[in-house]
Amino acid sequence: MSEQISGEPDKKSGGGLLQDVGAGLFLILISLFFIWQAWSLPLGSLRAMGPGMLPMSIAVIMGIGGAILMTIALVSGGPRLTRPHVRGLFFVLGGLILFGLTVRWLGLIVAGPLAMIFGSFASEEVRPVEAVIFAVVMTAFCIGLFKYALGLPIPIVAFM
Amino acid sequence: MDIFSNLAMGFGVAFTLQNIFLCFLGCMIGTLVGVLPGVGPVATIAMLLPITFGLDPTGALIMLAGIYYGAQYGGSTTAILVNIPGEATAVVTVLDGHQMAKQGRAGVALGISAIGSFFAGCVATLFIAAMGAPLTKFAQLFGPAEYFSLMVMGLVFSTVLARGSILKALLMVFLGLLLATVGTDLETGQERVTLGIQQLSDGIDFAPLAMGIFGFAEIIRNLEEPEARDVVRGKIGKLLPSLAEIRQSFPSILRGTAIGGILGILPGNGAVLGPFASYAVEKKIAKDPSRFGKGAIEGVAGPESANNAGAQTAFIPLLTLGIPPNAVMALMVGAMTIHGIIPGPQVMTKNPELFWGMIASMWIGNAMLVIINLPLVGMWVKLLKVPYRLMFPAILIFCAIGIYSINNSVEDVYFTAFFALVGYIMIKLGYEPAPMLLGFVLGKLMEEKLRQALILSRGSFTTFVERPVSGTLLAVALIMLVIAFLPAMNKKREQAFQE
Repeated sequence: MSEQISGEPDKKSGGGLLQDVGAGLFLILISLFFIWQAWSLPLGSLRAMGPGMLPMSIAVIMGIGGAILMTIALVSGGPRLTRPHVRGLFFVLGGLILFGLTVRWLGLIVAGPLAMIFGSFASEEVRPVEAVIFAVVMTAFCIGLFKYALGLPIPIVAFM
Repeated sequence: MDIFSNLAMGFGVAFTLQNIFLCFLGCMIGTLVGVLPGVGPVATIAMLLPITFGLDPTGALIMLAGIYYGAQYGGSTTAILVNIPGEATAVVTVLDGHQMAKQGRAGVALGISAIGSFFAGCVATLFIAAMGAPLTKFAQLFGPAEYFSLMVMGLVFSTVLARGSILKALLMVFLGLLLATVGTDLETGQERVTLGIQQLSDGIDFAPLAMGIFGFAEIIRNLEEPEARDVVRGKIGKLLPSLAEIRQSFPSILRGTAIGGILGILPGNGAVLGPFASYAVEKKIAKDPSRFGKGAIEGVAGPESANNAGAQTAFIPLLTLGIPPNAVMALMVGAMTIHGIIPGPQVMTKNPELFWGMIASMWIGNAMLVIINLPLVGMWVKLLKVPYRLMFPAILIFCAIGIYSINNSVEDVYFTAFFALVGYIMIKLGYEPAPMLLGFVLGKLMEEKLRQALILSRGSFTTFVERPVSGTLLAVALIMLVIAFLPAMNKKREQAFQE
C-alpha cells in the first residue's frame, strides 16, 4: 500500500493543477459517466429497489463529494499535481498489452520475452543485453512452472 | 470443551503430507513476497489463484493463508535489514528494528520479532478456535439489517484507518461501491453499466482490479520514485536474544498480542492499526521513552506481535460472518467461491475439516515461519540485492500469466492494464486504493442485504436504527466518523501515522 502520497508539497511540482481539484474532477467525471449509463434503468421504490437505484444514488453522492473536495482545495489550497511518469506507464502497460495481443496468436514462447523486454525499458537503468537474457531465462522458467508443473492451459508455441 | 477435539481433527487434516507441503510452500512464497518490497500479498495471491485450481479447497486455502501471514513475517525482515517496510504493516518495525541492525544487533531484532510473532500466532490461533463457535452462533442471529450495518461499520473503520484525508478515503469507498454495481442486477437480471461488454455482465472481476491497482500501478510508482536501499552491510550477529532481552520484551509481546488480536477482528482492516497502536503504547509506558527510535527492543517486539496477531484474527470475520475485512481476505472469498464454498457461518458446520484444518495449519505455519525465517535470513538478504530493474519485469510476466490463466481470457489482461492506469491516476491524485477495494468487495453483499432489509421493513430505513444490534453498530460507525472529522483528532491521527 502507498506511503508517499500524503499531503506534503512536492518539489517536482511546477505550477500544476491543485491535486484535490484534479481528484474532485476525477470523481465527478466517473460519477457523470455512471449517471449517464444508469439513466435508463428503473429506480424502483425503497420498498422494492430497482436496478438503477444504487448506481444512481451512489454516483450522485460521490459526485457531490468530489465537488466538495474541489471546493475545499480551491479555497484553502494544497499540494499540486506532479508530472506523471509517462515512460513507466508506456512501457509497463505496453508490455502487458503486448502480452495480451500475442499470447494466443504466437504463444508464451514469444509473448513472454516480448512483454518482458518491452517492459524493461520502463526503467531508466535498463541494460538491453541483460534484459534480453533475463527475459529468455524467466520465460523458460515460467513455461516449466505454469505449463509443466502446474498444467495450466496456456499456449506455449503458436497453435499448440 | 470440544475446542480440543475440533482442534485435534484440524491437526489431523493439516498434518497430511500434502497439506504440510502446501503450508510450507505458502509460507515460503509469502516470506518471499514479504521480503521483496513492492510486491504485496494482494497481487501475489491474485497471481497465484490459478495455481490453486487443481487443489482441494482445504489445501488451496491453507496455501493462500500461508502466503498471507508469511508476508507479514517477511515484511519485518526487510524493515529491519533495509530500512524500508517490505509490507505496509511493518512500517513501525523500521523505526527501532533498523536502528538495532545498525548497532550490529540485526540478528537479535530478527530473533525477537520471530519469537514475538510466533507467540502471537499461537495465541491468535487458540483465540480463533475458541471464538469461532460462539461467534458463529451469534452470527446466526444476524438478519440482513445487521449485516448491512456491520459492513457500514467496517467501511467507516477502513476510512478512518487509511492514510491522508478522510474525505478522500470516504469517497474511495463510494467509488468501490459504485464499481460493484456494474454487472447484472441481482433481482431483475437487468444489465447495469456494462457498456454491452460481455465480460462485464458478471460484474468487474476482482483479480484484474486488484492486480491492476496493487500490482502494476505500484510498479510504475516504484519506478518513478526509486528508493534508496540501505541494506545492512555488517554482520547480522547472533539470532537468539539473551535471557535479559527476552525478559525485557516479554511484556511488550503480551501487550502487542492483545492489542493486535483485538484490532484484527474489526472489519475494515483493523489489523493495520495494531502495530501503530502497540508502538504508541510501548512508548508511552516505557520508563525512558527517549530510547525509542534508537533501537529499543520493545519497539520491535510489541508491534511485530501485534502485526501477526492481527493478521490472524482478521480471519474471524471471514470465517464466522463471511465478511472479508481486507483485500487479502476478499481474495480468500474468491478462492472459496471458486471451490464452491460460500463463506459465512455455515462453513463451520458444513465444512468442519476445512474450518479446523485451516486453523490448525495456521499454527503449523507459524512454527514453520520461525524455521524459514531465521536460518534463511542470509538468502533473503541476497534476494534484497536483486536490482529493481530485473525484479519488475519478472513481476510483470508472472502477473500477466496469472491474470490470463484465471479465466484463460485475454480480455482480463486488458482490463488489468486499464485498472493499472486508473490506479496510477488515483495514486497521483492522492487517493488511497485500500478503502476503494474494500468498498468494491463488500458492495455486492451490501446491496443484497440492503434490499432484503428494506423489503422486510416495507421500505422504511428506521429498521436499521430500531434493531438493537444494527443500531449499535451504526452508532459506533457514526461516532468513529465524527471523532475522526473533529479537527483536533484529525491532527492527532496525522501524527500517529507520521510516527
